[in-house]
Amino acid sequence: MSIEISPMILAVFVPLFGAIAAFVLTRVAALIGLATLVLTTGAVIWLARDVLAAGAIVLPLGGWGAPLGIDLRADGLSVAMLALTSAVGFLVSIAALDSLKGADQVRQRQYFWPLWLLLLTGMNGVYLSTDIFNLYVMIEVIALAAVGLTVQSGSRAALQAGLEYMYASILGALLFLMGVGFVYLQLGRLDFAGLSGAAPTGALVAALALIFVGLALKTALFPLHFWLPAAHANATAPASALLSGLVVKAALYIVLRLAQYMPFPSENLLTLVGLMGAGAVIWGGVQALRAERLKLLVAWSTVAQIGLIFVAFARAGELGLTESWKAAALLILAHGIAKAAMFLAAGRIKDEIGHDVIRDLDRTPIRPTLAQFTFALAAISLIGLPPSLGFIGKWALMEGAMAAGYWHWVAVTMVGTLMSVAYFSRVFAGFLRFDRVRAPLGEHQGWALADAAPLTLALMAIGLGLLAAPLLSFLEIGYPFGVAP
Amino acid sequence: MTDPLVIFDMLLALAIVALAAASLSVRDLFSMIVLFIIFGLLSALAWVRLSAPDVALAEAAIGTGVTGALLLKTLHHLRYVSGTLNQQTALGVTPVAPVPMGIILANAGFCGLITLGLVVAFLGAPATGPGFDALVVEAMPQSGVEQPVTGVLLNFRAYDTLMEVVVLLAAVVAVWQIERGLSEAPAPVMGEVWQGFARLALPAIVVVGTYLLWVGAEASGGAFQGGAVLAAVGLLLLLTRAYVPQPAHRGIARGAFVLGTAAFALVALLVASGGRVAFEYPLEHAKTLILLIEGVVTLSIAVTLAALFHGREPVALIEGGPNDT
Amino acid sequence: MTPDLIYGLTGIAVFGIGLVGALCAQDRLRRVLALKLCSVGAGFLLVVGAWREPPATTDPVPHALVITGIVVMVSATAVALALIRRLQTLETTDEH
Repeated sequence: MSIEISPMILAVFVPLFGAIAAFVLTRVAALIGLATLVLTTGAVIWLARDVLAAGAIVLPLGGWGAPLGIDLRADGLSVAMLALTSAVGFLVSIAALDSLKGADQVRQRQYFWPLWLLLLTGMNGVYLSTDIFNLYVMIEVIALAAVGLTVQSGSRAALQAGLEYMYASILGALLFLMGVGFVYLQLGRLDFAGLSGAAPTGALVAALALIFVGLALKTALFPLHFWLPAAHANATAPASALLSGLVVKAALYIVLRLAQYMPFPSENLLTLVGLMGAGAVIWGGVQALRAERLKLLVAWSTVAQIGLIFVAFARAGELGLTESWKAAALLILAHGIAKAAMFLAAGRIKDEIGHDVIRDLDRTPIRPTLAQFTFALAAISLIGLPPSLGFIGKWALMEGAMAAGYWHWVAVTMVGTLMSVAYFSRVFAGFLRFDRVRAPLGEHQGWALADAAPLTLALMAIGLGLLAAPLLSFLEIGYPFGVAP
Repeated sequence: MTDPLVIFDMLLALAIVALAAASLSVRDLFSMIVLFIIFGLLSALAWVRLSAPDVALAEAAIGTGVTGALLLKTLHHLRYVSGTLNQQTALGVTPVAPVPMGIILANAGFCGLITLGLVVAFLGAPATGPGFDALVVEAMPQSGVEQPVTGVLLNFRAYDTLMEVVVLLAAVVAVWQIERGLSEAPAPVMGEVWQGFARLALPAIVVVGTYLLWVGAEASGGAFQGGAVLAAVGLLLLLTRAYVPQPAHRGIARGAFVLGTAAFALVALLVASGGRVAFEYPLEHAKTLILLIEGVVTLSIAVTLAALFHGREPVALIEGGPNDT
Repeated sequence: MTPDLIYGLTGIAVFGIGLVGALCAQDRLRRVLALKLCSVGAGFLLVVGAWREPPATTDPVPHALVITGIVVMVSATAVALALIRRLQTLETTDEH
C-alpha cells in the first residue's frame, strides 16, 4: 500500500516536521532548516506544475469536504504566495546561517530554526486554507512564532517592541475570531464557498468590519501600524527580513482572498480603506524621512508600502475590480522580495560598519559596497522604477485608476513614490559621499555568504519585472480575482 | 412568564459582566486575578446553561485554571523575584504618567459604540441560525467516535486541532527562547500569593470542576480537559518542589512537547493511501487511531501546559555564560 | 427571553469591556487580562450560536471551535506573560 500525498499537504507538513526535528535535534538545527526549505520549495514547484496543468486544485481533508470538513485549495494566487514565501525564506535562511554563526549565539541559533519553520508552516497554511476559523488558528501560529523571532536578540528594546506586537497580534486575532462568530451566527458555515453570494445583512457587515480591522491590525495598516516600526527595526536582520517581507503579507493575503468571497462593501467603505492607505503612504513617508536609523527607515517604508497596497484595493470600486486586485497582488510580491533584500542588506551594513545611524553613514572608513549596492537595487523596486516588479505593480495600479477616473488615487501613488525617492536618497547620499572621512578607506571586507542572499533577492525584485506577463497570467489561474469563467 | 431559570440566567449574566468590569478596574493586581478566576468559573457555568458542558470544562480548567495560575506566577515574579521592588509595582501600577481621563473616556466611548454596533448586529442575526447540526448527525456514524464534539475535534476538523497543538508547541518554543539563559529563580515557594491561590481558587476550581464533570458525565472529557487536569497535577508538583526540572531532563521535555504534534501529523499522513486523503481514517480503524491520537495529545498538552507555567528552560546554575544573547 | 439572547448580550458586553481594557490599561498584566476577557466574549458568541431550543441538541462544531480558541488563547497568554517577566527582569537589573 502506497501513501498518496498531495503537494499541498507537503507544503504544510514538511515545515511542520522540520520544526519538530529542529527543536529536538538542536545540534543539527541549521542543517534540518535548510533541508526543510529545499523540500518545501520542491513541494511548491510540484504544486505549481499541477496548478499550471489542471487549474485550481481542491483537497478535502479527511474526505469530508466543506462545509463540515476543511478543504485546502490552491490557485494561481496562493501558489504565487507560496512561491514568494519559499524563495524569500530559502534565501533568508542562507543569510541567517551566516549572521547566526557567532560562538555566543548558540542559543539564538537553537531557537531560530524551530520558530522560523513553525512560522513557515503557519504561512503556507494560510495560503492554502479555505475556512475562516482555520485561518484564525493559522494566524495565531504565525503570531506566536513571529513574536518569538522579534525578540530573538533579547535586548530590552526588542522585548518591549515584541510585547507591543504581541498585544496587537492577539487583539487582531480576537477581533477576527469575533468576526468568525458573527459569520457563523448568520450563515451557519465557515468555508469560503458559503460566504460567496451571501446577502450583506447586519451580522455579516459586523463580521466584515471585525475581520477587516483585525487583519489591518495584523498587517499594520495606518492608523493601526503603531507596533510595526519598533518591532521590525529591533529584530535581528534575518528576523526583520522575514517579518517585513513575509509575515505582514499573510494578513494582506487574507484581505485579498476574503475580498473575493465576502459581500461587496459599499463604495464609501472602500473610500475609507483607501484613505487609511493614503494616510499610511504619507505618514510612513514622513516618518521615514525623519528616521535616524537605517533599519527604522526601512521599517517605516514598510508602513508606507502597505498603505499603497490598500490604495490599490480601494481604488477598485465596482469598476476595474479585477485589475486593481492584480495590482495589489503584484505589489505584495514585489514588496515581499525587495523588502527582505533591503532588511538583509541593512543588517549587513550595520554589521560591517558597526552602527546604522543614517547621518553617520558617510563618516565610516569601511565601505560595505556589496550591501550598499544591494540596498540600492532593492530601493529601485520599492520606489517603482522600471523594469522592476515594483514598477509593474505601480503601473498596473495607476493605469487602472486612470482608466476608472480615480485621479485622487493616482495623486496619492505619485506622492508616495516621490516620498520614497526622498527618503531613500537620504541613505544613498550617505553611501556616495565619503569626503568627510580623513582616514584611508578600509579595505573591502570580502564576499560574505550573507551578501549573496540579499543580492539574489534584489536582482529577483528587478528581474521579475521582465517576467510580469507570464506572472500575471499565472496569477489568474483558478480565477482568484473574481472573474467567473 | 417568569421562569425561575430566566431569572437565574439574568442574574448570572449580570454577575459575569460586573465581574469582568470589576476585574479590570480594581486597583490591586492580586484582587484583579481572583476576580478574573471567579469570572471565568461563572462563564463556564453560563456555558453549562447553554448546553456546552465540554466547553465549560475546557474554560474552567484551561481558560481559567491554567490562565489564572500563569497570571499569579507572573505577579509573584513581578513583586518578589525580580530584584528590588518599588511601591508602585507592588500595587500593580506601572510607573508611568497616568493616562488623561479624557483619553480614557474617549476610548471607552469608542468601544461603547463598537459594542452597541455589535449588539445591533447580534439582534438582527437569525435567532436559531442554520448550522452544522444535520451534517454532523449524518456524518457521525462514519467518524468512529460517539461524541459529536470529539468527532469534530479529531475527525471532521482534525486539521484545526492539529494546528492548535502546533500553537501550543510554538508557545513553548517561544517561552523557552524568551527566558533563555535565565538562571533558576528562587523557588516559588507557597508564599502569600500561593497561599491565597490555594485558599481561594483551588477549592473553588475543585468544586466547580467536580460539578462540571458531573454535568458533563455523558459527554466525553476530551484531550484538552484531560490534559489540563494532568497539567494541574504537574503544576502542584512544581509548586511544592516535589519535582524540580533538571537540565538533563531537557531532551525528554522537548520530546514530550513535540510528541502529540508528531504523532497526530504522522497518522494524518500515513492514512492517505488507497484513494484516501490526509486525515481520512479508514472506518474500521478510526476509533483506535482517534484514541491513540487523543492519548498522545493529552500527554503533550499536559507537559506543555506545565512547562508554560514553569517558564524558563531548566539550565544548570554554573553553566558558562548563562546570559548569552 | 431565551438563554441565547441573554448570554449573547453578555458575551458582547464582556468583549466590549475587554476592548476598553486592551486600549486603556497601562499595566502590562492588566492588558493581558483584558485580552483574555475579549476571548471569553468571542467564546460566548460561538456557544450562543450553537445553542438550540431544547429538546433539539446543540451544534457541536462551534463547541469544538471554542475549545480550540481556549487552548490558543492560553498559549498566547503564556508567551505574553513570559515577555512581561523577562522585561521586568531586564528593567530592574538596568536600574542598578
